[in-house]
Amino acid sequence: MLDTYREVVTPEGVALHLPAAGPMPRALAWAIDFIVRAAVMMAMGMFLGVFGRGGTGFYAVAMFLVYWFYPVAFEAMWNGRTPGKRALGLRVIAGNGAPVGWLAAFTRNLLRVVDMLPLAYATGLVSSLVDPWGRRLGDMVAGTLVVHDARAREPQPAAVDTALAPSVALRPYEQAALVAFAERAPRLSEARQAELADLAEPLTGARGSTAVTRLYRMANWLLGRR
Amino acid sequence: MKQEHFVQRHQPEWIAFEHWLDERGESARKARAERRNWHGLSDADMPSRYRRLCQQLALARRRGYSPVVTDRLQALMHRGHGLLYRTPLPHWQRAAHFLLAGFPRLVRAERGCMLASFALFWIPIAVIFAAIQWQPELSSSLFEPAQLMQFERMYDPADPARKLGRDNGTDVAMFGHYVWNNVSIAFRTFASGLVLGVGSIVVLITNGVMIGGVAGHLQAVGHGDPFWRFVAAHSAPELTAIVIAGGAGLRLGLALIAPGQRRRADALVDAGRRGALLCAGVLAMLVFAAFVEAFWSSIAWMPAWIKYSVGGALWALTAAWLLLGGRNLPAEDAGA
Repeated sequence: MLDTYREVVTPEGVALHLPAAGPMPRALAWAIDFIVRAAVMMAMGMFLGVFGRGGTGFYAVAMFLVYWFYPVAFEAMWNGRTPGKRALGLRVIAGNGAPVGWLAAFTRNLLRVVDMLPLAYATGLVSSLVDPWGRRLGDMVAGTLVVHDARAREPQPAAVDTALAPSVALRPYEQAALVAFAERAPRLSEARQAELADLAEPLTGARGSTAVTRLYRMANWLLGRR
Repeated sequence: MKQEHFVQRHQPEWIAFEHWLDERGESARKARAERRNWHGLSDADMPSRYRRLCQQLALARRRGYSPVVTDRLQALMHRGHGLLYRTPLPHWQRAAHFLLAGFPRLVRAERGCMLASFALFWIPIAVIFAAIQWQPELSSSLFEPAQLMQFERMYDPADPARKLGRDNGTDVAMFGHYVWNNVSIAFRTFASGLVLGVGSIVVLITNGVMIGGVAGHLQAVGHGDPFWRFVAAHSAPELTAIVIAGGAGLRLGLALIAPGQRRRADALVDAGRRGALLCAGVLAMLVFAAFVEAFWSSIAWMPAWIKYSVGGALWALTAAWLLLGGRNLPAEDAGA
């Protein structure tokens, strides 16, 4: 499959397919986090400015915490997501598919120092382009991975409720394509559905909306809806 | 078996499992508190249900069922996997135990890297200090004249009202500044070790040269007394912490250069784990050092003998802690 899945074989002997995230959504998530951090520091600055010179000490401590521990705390306590990652649907997980722990979160964020070299995360960008799972150096050392959160699919009711046996025996990949069409086509426009169904004219013996309905009915038969 | 029949047969199991994950899987504390009111899938049955689910997913994939089924099963399995195989939560109540015993053991376990880091830091300090005593003009090739003026002003023996070691700023402000500045330096010293150890070596030598230069210059121009009174106490935890962070960085670089009989990836992960633990200890040391530096070291009126005794005591304590801490513990306690 043309995709950046990482297969993690669990102790039960079944593979988990984890969709690794590339540098672009991660950079956007970082940018959102940067804005959040800057906003927090500005608010702290206004609040602590009231206390005069003593406030600068607390401001420096707050800056230290926000700079070094904002991502660590969020990733460890919020199931691998900082606010930016949540907005982009990303999540940090351990390499074995389990949630990331405190120590791994700390390690991967300490090593941002190296990924930032020489400027603007250039090392991290190169590393995540070269690595098959898009990991930056910090991820490699911490043994972590950034993945796309699985989107919850709404179970779709069947588009039509009758079944029709295909006129010829279909190969497994053909069956899979038919079922995939039936599951995904209801989200397409009528014209696009018909255009796709026309490709299967030898099977359906029809064109246009009749072909679409026939494909839906055959998919029902293949899935065992009768 | 057709997909629809498969779904119909196992659907109730999946719903029960999902319900269990929603209600019981989120927080162990909540699950314990509400265990009397729970009437769904029992907690003890969860692992076997999880294994059944894994088997059903494998079957669904083998039979080529559509993503509607396989994605749903994989999502359930991933959640169950996360619960069963997650990293154990850190024992926060054992943090003190880690600081007193686990951390010194970890430092001693890496004694080679620590000694190398010690040498890379202290030899420049000693050499530059000695060189400036011999040729005092050398300091002007290390620092700008304005910087030298500032150092001299900060430790001026003719100005007894001034707080030691600072231009201006209150104790609290300086505490915050020291935490931000010193801990950031230590973390960078560790992390830059990933660049084949070069980063850590550069940071250690540069800091050694700077510290040796400042100390040597102040000693040479006769401002040594306030300077030594200032640094006597906090130098023990602060300089040792920088050495330890450098040692952890060297360990990281070494894992990349000479991984031994492991894959580089595995050696790096191990060195990273140890390095992060060491950095946690370094953080504690530097926060303590910043506290001492801001609230104790700067007191100018304190007689010198008290300052030097406290400094000596802190050096002795630091050394004893790192050399003796946790010696009598069984090996498995070290990781904390």
